[in-house]
Amino acid sequence: MAVIGVGRFIQQRQDFEDAIARSYQVEMQARERLAAGEGSQLTRATVAREAKRRSDLRDEISSDTRDTALLVAAGLIAGLTGALLLFSGLISSMRRPLEELVDAAGRLAAGDRGARVEVGGLSETATLGAAFNEMADELEREASQRDQLDRLKDEFVLTASHELRSPLTSVQGFAELLMLDRDSLTPKQAETVEIILDNCRHLVRLLNDLLDLARSDAGRLAITPQPTEVAPLIEDVVRTMRAQTEGMNQQLTREIEPDLPLIHAEGDRIRQILVNLLTNAHEYSPEGASIEVTARVVDAEVEISVTDNGPGIPENQLQHIFERFVRGDAGLTQRVGGTGLGLAISKSLVELHGGTIAAESTPGIGSTFSIRLPAAGQAPGTDSDRTTAEAS
Amino acid sequence: MVRVLIADDSETILLLMRTRLEMAGYEVDTAADGQEVVERWQHGDPAGLPDILLLDAMMPRKSGIDALRELREMGVETPALIVSAHQDATDANAPGELEVSGYLNKPIDFERLLDRIAELTTDRV
Repeated sequence: MAVIGVGRFIQQRQDFEDAIARSYQVEMQARERLAAGEGSQLTRATVAREAKRRSDLRDEISSDTRDTALLVAAGLIAGLTGALLLFSGLISSMRRPLEELVDAAGRLAAGDRGARVEVGGLSETATLGAAFNEMADELEREASQRDQLDRLKDEFVLTASHELRSPLTSVQGFAELLMLDRDSLTPKQAETVEIILDNCRHLVRLLNDLLDLARSDAGRLAITPQPTEVAPLIEDVVRTMRAQTEGMNQQLTREIEPDLPLIHAEGDRIRQILVNLLTNAHEYSPEGASIEVTARVVDAEVEISVTDNGPGIPENQLQHIFERFVRGDAGLTQRVGGTGLGLAISKSLVELHGGTIAAESTPGIGSTFSIRLPAAGQAPGTDSDRTTAEAS
Repeated sequence: MVRVLIADDSETILLLMRTRLEMAGYEVDTAADGQEVVERWQHGDPAGLPDILLLDAMMPRKSGIDALRELREMGVETPALIVSAHQDATDANAPGELEVSGYLNKPIDFERLLDRIAELTTDRV
């Protein structure tokens, strides 16, 4: 409309200029005739009429200009309004797909592998949506491949553990059979059979640990927690460990706070953790070292600590102490018979109980490993079976 | 004398278990899979039926778990111990409702096994 207005304005202005020019021309011709003495009354009238005509034309053009200006203004307003409407329509038609895209991206990031957007609307947002869906498809494919690999790994560990156990049962069983008749063996033979048995036990421990870790990774390491007394568990583990610590003249002591609350835990698993911690303290400490087990209440949790005055763990190793197959220097160079998995499993187990595990050490002074477990009254997910969170 | 029927697909393990149990004074019979165990009841056994079963959880043809399920359906109430190469019943895929007297892991802790057998058969001698 503005364009039409402007066009019309230019045309009118042109017509006006032409008309004025013609009027002057007519008047000038009339004046020339009058100057030459040829003019009549009519010629004078022509001069007066042309002056009047120009005056009228000027009035007319100014009113026309006003109209045209109004027209132009109206056109401009209408045009702007239209553009605004068009633009806001464009914005709103883009907004919905974009919001949907943001929402889907959020869900995808949160682990919803099925998050997709509806492809539609403007071609730009449709392209964006299609690209997003393509990316999500690719991620889903990769994730399902990863899941499949994880399943294969778990199956492999389970099968390997099963297949290795049968021959191991035979080796250990027959070696034990020989030891039942120990008196008929020479000391050298008896020692040989002891070595076979030691190595069998080590292999069994390794297999059990690997299986526990595979279960933990697969989210299938399950515990059945119930209100459990701490003191008898510690007494039991200390009794089990005593033969080993006494063999190296190590002092194994315990200090259990009276009236400890019950913990929400599976006794066998807590025993497994404590055996792991005590075995480490025993194996990494020299002859004559002291090892102390303490249990106390800290912030409504029960803390069980194992402290030794062994060589300690350097800071750079302490950081990685709960990772798999990470072992202290002694584990690599000395008689230590661990699998390098004990602390990793202990950590998984403690966390499965809703607790925490920590290690402190000062090289040359000793190390302390502590676990904290929720008291039975305020445990998360009371009395229901718990399983490791789905490994991500 | 208490009769023990052991089922395992490994001859070596059968030999090992037979030796240990015979040393402990039991009469031992062996089967190579679960099918042979079920057949003892289907066809009868001239030597007499066992007082206790030691079944490997995983065997070809018929697993110890499946054999025990069939026996229970047939009304056989003989106590049974499942020997599993896995660490627990969940891994052995044993249904909870199956009447099992206990689970034992491989490698076998023979002291524990002999204790369990003694407990389960004292009233049968």
